[in-house]
Amino acid sequence: MSKKSFDISSLMQSKVTWAVIAELLILLVCFLIRPDFFSISYQPSTGMLYGSLIDIVNRSAEITIISMGMTLVIALGGTDLSVGALVAVAGAIALKFLRWDVLAYPTPGDYTVCSYILVLAVPLIVCALMGLFNGFLVAKGGIQPIIATLILMVCGRGVAQILTDGKQFTTGYSPFRFIGQGSFLYLPMPIIITIVVVIAVALFTRKTAFGAFVESVGVNPNASKLSGIKAAGVILIVFMITGLLSGIAGLIYSSRIMSNDSNNAGLNFEMDAILAVVIGGTNMSGGKFSLAGTVVGSLIIRTIVTFVYYFGIVAEATMAFKALIIAVVIVLQSEPVRKYFAKRAALRALRKGGMKA
Amino acid sequence: MQEKNILEMKGITIQFPGVKALDGVDFSLRAGEIHSLLGENGAGKSTLIKCLTGVNRMDAGKIILDGKEIAPTDPGNAIELGISAVFQEINLCPNLTVAENIFVGRQPMKHGQIDWKEINRRASELMSRFHLDIDVTRPLSYYSTAIQQMTSIARAVDIQAKILILDEPTSSLDENEVQLLFSVMRELKASGMGIIFITHFLDQIYAVSDRMTILRNGHLVGTYNIDELTKVELVTKMVGKDMDVIFSLKRSEVAPDAEFMLKAEHIGDASKIHDISVNVKKGELIGFAGLLGSGRTETAEMLFGATKTVKGDIYVDGEKILIKQPFDAIKADIAFCPEDRKRDGIIGDLSIRENIMLAVQSRKGFMKPMTKQEQTELANKYIKMLGIATPDCEKKAGELSGGNQQKVILARWMAASPKVFILDEPTRGIDIGAKAEIQRLMLEMCGQGVSVIFISSELDEIIRCSNRVVIMRDRAKVTEVDGASCTQKDILKIIAEGAA
Repeated sequence: MSKKSFDISSLMQSKVTWAVIAELLILLVCFLIRPDFFSISYQPSTGMLYGSLIDIVNRSAEITIISMGMTLVIALGGTDLSVGALVAVAGAIALKFLRWDVLAYPTPGDYTVCSYILVLAVPLIVCALMGLFNGFLVAKGGIQPIIATLILMVCGRGVAQILTDGKQFTTGYSPFRFIGQGSFLYLPMPIIITIVVVIAVALFTRKTAFGAFVESVGVNPNASKLSGIKAAGVILIVFMITGLLSGIAGLIYSSRIMSNDSNNAGLNFEMDAILAVVIGGTNMSGGKFSLAGTVVGSLIIRTIVTFVYYFGIVAEATMAFKALIIAVVIVLQSEPVRKYFAKRAALRALRKGGMKA
Repeated sequence: MQEKNILEMKGITIQFPGVKALDGVDFSLRAGEIHSLLGENGAGKSTLIKCLTGVNRMDAGKIILDGKEIAPTDPGNAIELGISAVFQEINLCPNLTVAENIFVGRQPMKHGQIDWKEINRRASELMSRFHLDIDVTRPLSYYSTAIQQMTSIARAVDIQAKILILDEPTSSLDENEVQLLFSVMRELKASGMGIIFITHFLDQIYAVSDRMTILRNGHLVGTYNIDELTKVELVTKMVGKDMDVIFSLKRSEVAPDAEFMLKAEHIGDASKIHDISVNVKKGELIGFAGLLGSGRTETAEMLFGATKTVKGDIYVDGEKILIKQPFDAIKADIAFCPEDRKRDGIIGDLSIRENIMLAVQSRKGFMKPMTKQEQTELANKYIKMLGIATPDCEKKAGELSGGNQQKVILARWMAASPKVFILDEPTRGIDIGAKAEIQRLMLEMCGQGVSVIFISSELDEIIRCSNRVVIMRDRAKVTEVDGASCTQKDILKIIAEGAA
């Protein structure tokens, strides 16, 4: 009996548990207001499932993907502010390759000027290199991550502007459209890509010792180095992964709008990604991280936005409303509240056990 | 001495998950006495103090202060009740002046503004009461640790405390500073204050206290007048049977034809060390003696790659090794237990299991992970072998007592089965029982053919364990002496005079 009560109390102490509870509560409210919120229908014309729930997962794809990398960065005790700008960079490069010279190819259509491989590979490689640059400043230069990544946050969008001569390109190339708007196994492609990314990052961190090394460096870099961990290498890899994932998110984003938008693509994504990680239970000071928690965090953020749109709350109130719910979630997860509930749960279980015996 | 009890704690019981930290402990303090609280690490001293200062909640028992039952809710509340504590780590702001530190949070006001003149005057007065004639308007960081410690005490005293708790106040003080602290303690005692004194130094207990209370494993052993127990009796009561271990320690026996496991020839780093040569035979224990800053730690760090070696050669097991970073040293089967356990050793937020598996795993690289089961088996093996006090291997390493944390770090390196093990002050800040065990472990490893370099400021343990003693001074090696035939006096003489 005592073992069971201990389990309950440790479950109630976990931030991830509270994130899941918060998500379920928001969904419950949605359901109470509009029972059809949960309805999912099949659209034969596109071969895709439709519904609010599908939409939430679909639209959260970019943040979920980026926040996988952000989780690792935060576990190292840092933050990466450049992810939003990298989203814009990836989109700009992709569109640049799709229509190399807008004057020569004035009308957008179902064509690509360079090979499609380049359209996909170059943005990802560039973003990974930019991530590596961040990592280099942090690991070798000893610059605080928030400052080091501020550089690319500021100049990334500028780079994107230069690449596209400040113009907004559009395209109609259907294989490119497939990334953001296509479907596979009845699900929108962004969901599929997200699932692949989440599984890949989870396997990479948890099936190797990489995750443990990240946590160790995040808690105590000195001791980690003296235990033989090559901390600089760990930092470089983590920032490179985050850059690469921002690139993937950038391709999805630009495929959704079939255009590049250097000013607005990925705007404030860094904030949402950090928020997703924090809601998911990873501490900003570094250390233990939870990828599952981050996924839930990202879903919560998107659920709130969908909620606002779906129930026709005035657009001006969206931000305030989002802030309100997030404030509630963060308070629910705060240590005093968690301890209070854990204690109560343990007591209740103990009392129950006592009565039975 | 007055016989009236100013403080009584009765039947104090505190339950932590998995362990009873205190089990029905009684403690009493008279007005105008210095009362030493003794016990090994993990015996419950800090827990008892934390209970008194409102950090820990009691599960049973009561505290009576001045005839009234109290229940301190937090440190602030405890201070209001008249209980002040000064801890080993100084909890002051080094960038503020001495005077500001004493009065921060309760500055005297005049016309709605802080009365700086009054603050500085009263601060000088306080410090001169401690026979310290210093400029209180200088930042605290300008002064030595001793004066910082005094400032801490001055602050506690000025809050009109009835009870002053001094937790390891002397661990970073030199002999004169200790004497200064003692005279202040005696004056405070004469003014009727009750002082609870915690220290690891037995001599100091006898020098200054009136009574002592001994705890062991969360239980009360007893309260004695200072003249009731001899030192040996005291230690026996504190550690139970651990004292036998110390006396039964035997120096490692090195085969006369044993080959050199580690040879460092004329190594030097970029700034401090110019030319040092050391060698260790298989199964030999080399002690590094010397004052703080004599180059002991710097040499160890070079051998392990924590600082860069810019000249000289290092050979392990006959093979020349280039050590650029700790990883290279680990690859060459060198292990290093660093001096600053908190900063460089323990990874506090990770579990004991993760802390123990770290060196083995980093050596393999992250692509060849150990399964969780392998890690747990490894951790449990060493928890059992080293007697690490914990309910299970998933407990956070940072929550362990100092001695147990040190054992976790030893386990981390023993798991990597090193050929050369460098230990920098492995016994600092831990109690006699754990010290004895760590010395025993080092000697056992020697017996199994590991070469050990043992750095310590405590000469008696160096002499007790070492086959050879390397004496360092002013960042250079002065000489080597035979461990079996040298005495503390010989070594001190060489350290002081710089010649053999």
